[in-house]
Amino acid sequence: MPATATGVYHTSYASELRLRHTNAERTRLGLAVVFLLALPWLVDNYWLGIVNTIGIAVIGAVGLNILVGFTGQISLGQGGFLAVGAFTSALLAERAGLPVPLAVVVAVLVTAAAGAFFGLPALRLKGLYLAIATIASQEIIVFVIRRWGWLTGGQGFLDVERLTLFGWRVPRTSFEFTWYWIIAGLAVIAVLSARNLFRTTLGRSFMAVRDQDIAASAIGVDLTRAKLVAFAVSSGYVGLAGALTAHYTETVTWERFTIDVSIQYLAMIIVGGLGSIAGSVYGAAFIMLLPPLLAELAGRVRSWAPFLAEQLPAVQAAAFGLVIVLFLLFEPRGLDRIWQRAKDYIRFWPFRY
Amino acid sequence: MRRMLIAGAALALLAGCGGPGGAGGDDEEIAIGIIADLTGATGDVGTPYNEGMLAYIDYLNGKGGIKGRKIKAFSEDYAYKVPVAEEKYKKYVSQGVVAIQAWGTGDSEALRGKVKDDELPFMSASYAEVLTDPAESPYNFVVAPTYSDQMRVGLDYIAAQDPTAQVAVFHHDSPFGNAPVADGEKWIKDKGYQLGYRAYPMKTGATDYVGLLQQAKSQGAKYIVIQNVSSPAAVVARDIAAQRLDMKIVCLNWCADELFIKTAGAAAEGHIMIQPFAPPGADKPGHQPIREYTKSKGIDLDAKGLHFVQGWYTMHVMAQGIEKVLTDGKELTGPNLRAALETMGPVDTGGVIGPVKFTADSHRGSTASGIYQVSGGQLNEIAAGVEPKA
Amino acid sequence: MTQFIQLTAYGLANGAVLALAALGFVLIYKATSVINFAQGELLLVGAYLFYTAFVLLRLPLVGAVIAGVAGAALLGVAVERLVLRPLIGENPISVIMVTIGLAAALKAVVQMFYGTAPREMPKVLPAGTVEVAGAAIPLDRLLAVGIAGVVLAGFTAFFRWSRHGIAMRAVADDQQAALVQGISVRRIFALAWALAAVSALIGGILLADIAEVSQNLASFGLIVFPVVILGGLDSVPGTIVGGVVIGLLSQYAEGLSPGASQVVPYIALVLILLVRPYGLFGQTRIERV
Repeated sequence: MPATATGVYHTSYASELRLRHTNAERTRLGLAVVFLLALPWLVDNYWLGIVNTIGIAVIGAVGLNILVGFTGQISLGQGGFLAVGAFTSALLAERAGLPVPLAVVVAVLVTAAAGAFFGLPALRLKGLYLAIATIASQEIIVFVIRRWGWLTGGQGFLDVERLTLFGWRVPRTSFEFTWYWIIAGLAVIAVLSARNLFRTTLGRSFMAVRDQDIAASAIGVDLTRAKLVAFAVSSGYVGLAGALTAHYTETVTWERFTIDVSIQYLAMIIVGGLGSIAGSVYGAAFIMLLPPLLAELAGRVRSWAPFLAEQLPAVQAAAFGLVIVLFLLFEPRGLDRIWQRAKDYIRFWPFRY
Repeated sequence: MRRMLIAGAALALLAGCGGPGGAGGDDEEIAIGIIADLTGATGDVGTPYNEGMLAYIDYLNGKGGIKGRKIKAFSEDYAYKVPVAEEKYKKYVSQGVVAIQAWGTGDSEALRGKVKDDELPFMSASYAEVLTDPAESPYNFVVAPTYSDQMRVGLDYIAAQDPTAQVAVFHHDSPFGNAPVADGEKWIKDKGYQLGYRAYPMKTGATDYVGLLQQAKSQGAKYIVIQNVSSPAAVVARDIAAQRLDMKIVCLNWCADELFIKTAGAAAEGHIMIQPFAPPGADKPGHQPIREYTKSKGIDLDAKGLHFVQGWYTMHVMAQGIEKVLTDGKELTGPNLRAALETMGPVDTGGVIGPVKFTADSHRGSTASGIYQVSGGQLNEIAAGVEPKA
Repeated sequence: MTQFIQLTAYGLANGAVLALAALGFVLIYKATSVINFAQGELLLVGAYLFYTAFVLLRLPLVGAVIAGVAGAALLGVAVERLVLRPLIGENPISVIMVTIGLAAALKAVVQMFYGTAPREMPKVLPAGTVEVAGAAIPLDRLLAVGIAGVVLAGFTAFFRWSRHGIAMRAVADDQQAALVQGISVRRIFALAWALAAVSALIGGILLADIAEVSQNLASFGLIVFPVVILGGLDSVPGTIVGGVVIGLLSQYAEGLSPGASQVVPYIALVLILLVRPYGLFGQTRIERV
């Protein structure tokens, strides 16, 4: 087996079906696993906290990418679905006294159902029209949550108990550390399951709908079913991310799930790469890391040039917008594409192609 | 999955930037973390508040700090976004701060449980009632009267003017806006007032509130209590003027400021403001040190307004607690600071806020607010240090 | 009845501003097929441009408006040339994202120069009120409706009869055919963005005058969507009808139940999409599934 594949050399169906074909891919996988295992010992609590939020974002971004990147249904309703997951799980755990794992599972199912319901317009609309319709579902979900006072007992927010698993309460001292394993574990499951989803009939039918819906329907893909299932599956992941947000941050308010969040998630998958599971991971990490890194940078600048202190917060916000714009101008197909190109460059070096 | 490496490598590099810090030794700097809104939805008032805090620290350090130890303030913008506030909070914890100064209701709620676990005394510019109960929020300290107390003062004032008036409460559609609504209704019942009372959520970013005013009008409202920031309150004031309605606004805290007068212009005249912090124009003795400091730095205090004063004295109360810990010769830790704040007795603010006093049973620092009326484009004091009726 | 008249007057004024914001959106979509999420920010930048010229530079009103129009047109052309043109032919989602990034950057740049506190601006439109059937209607709102009406009529006439307007319609209809006719598609794209920025500027000035010069103005960006969906994504007269209908609808909703106006436009949006996805006046070009 060569280090990098220079062509298709499969001699059996089993080898063709493998997720990884080359030694380089396996080495990288090994390195990634080592990295994930070592990470919590390498960084302090603050960065581990950011890693945890990235992990949750990865789950949400994978979900959104299934819908937008793989099925071609643009959605700006992500914030609303996150809210459904977060509130369902928090309410079930707090009010109904369900054990948290069970509450999370129910939240995933409820969000999937909500996703399928709000996906109904997709049966008649596509493209930009659908994107606009999902803005409406975002606004309607958040409005309903704001108006239903009983959700939060009239106080506008819900406190969530510290996570207790099978009688074991997560200790404060190792809070981020414990959560890292929970979130990283679930994120790995999310990534692997999504990766494998697109090797099944269902997953392929999603891509067929994206690429050419009429042709897909001609070869026997049930469009209605494919679209609604895509909405449901995608929202299921998003619901998981929402439920994790609720238990990890221990407080739920609608203020966390506004249209800004929907836009942020869309930014993740676009910057990462549409229709790429790995891209969702890169994108989530990029978008979640950019603001703290810019803040870090701003902190340095402030010590060199204190007279800029007043402008710096706005400069940070502008830089965030600018980075996204420049990024898309440079490589509209995202980080995943950049990584592919980097690999190709190395593979063919010293030749250009 | 297998390609998480890029992200990972970047992360590993950055891990080094996590930042050292910490205040351990005797002459080391004391670190305080400020979570400020400079660019978000409330950046207009968050900016002077933050400046006031930093100015106070600069002033204190200029005088040699606390017991010879300088204060180092970390101040970062969170743009009124709760997740960012959580991130900044964790950052400050890793930088070894002894106390947190935050801003909004959303982030104060979100961080309440965390400061309890981390034993970090926490103040913010959110004066929600739930934060004053040490049984529930042992590390939250509320320096000013709560929104509910301000509402009570407002209702007492209205009942004294017109015992049977109808009151409409226009509030921001969020936990911040909802905070005093139910307590106000209960207060009317408890005190046996004959006031009518109805609450109306205000939508954000509106250019007019005539729809709400019409409903208030059919309710027969003569007083409109507003729990919102100044811009929307100013819109209500202008609509009242344009409609020539016989209604008086009673602004609580966040709309009772110079910005309201500035944006509403002539329409602001005659309205009532319930404001716990005396504006610079009221010229209390407590404004003296601020004036001297700002003059020496070439800052125009009157342009900065009362939120600058608010930030200054909120930080002052925290500094008093720190001083008490150091005077007692104790180690500067969260629990010690909490104990010091609870036992240090009333803090004199020279009449800017009613004396601030915490006890082990109550973290309600003060119950007294000033009542002001807008006239001639100024906040004119009608009554100082008004507490809710016993 | 008086209440109804009042709500109608305020609703019309909001609708007029919405129509101007939506007009810019439609121009861009029609000519370049870009969904512009930075429309609210163009409004914001427009208001601050005018503020700068009128208050900071102390230009006379007419001069300030001209300076504002020039500035907005320049901005529109610059955005088109630097940001949107390199993305022609790319995935529409990437293009949406670019406009979102642009929105964040524009808003932040405004903050950088003017801070977050609202700015004072002397009133341009008269402040009095007129009595209509017992209802007090502020003059500035009535005039805002009038000004918006004139501007919108101007734009409509421009498309119908002027050379450039017809060229724009030709490009919107079929780019290649237009190219064959010797129309510069590049110039039309730039023109669309410039005109969009100008109509947003006029909306921004009106808003700044009836409300205030502050960051809040950008929130008008999102409510543009119900307007354009109602009127049709590619219909200029549709923006007028859509703006007025959504303006009135949210005003009546607010008069019935506080806060309802935050959701009513979106419910309307969903209903329209389900019944008549191409809007009242849009071309039935939408792909049905």
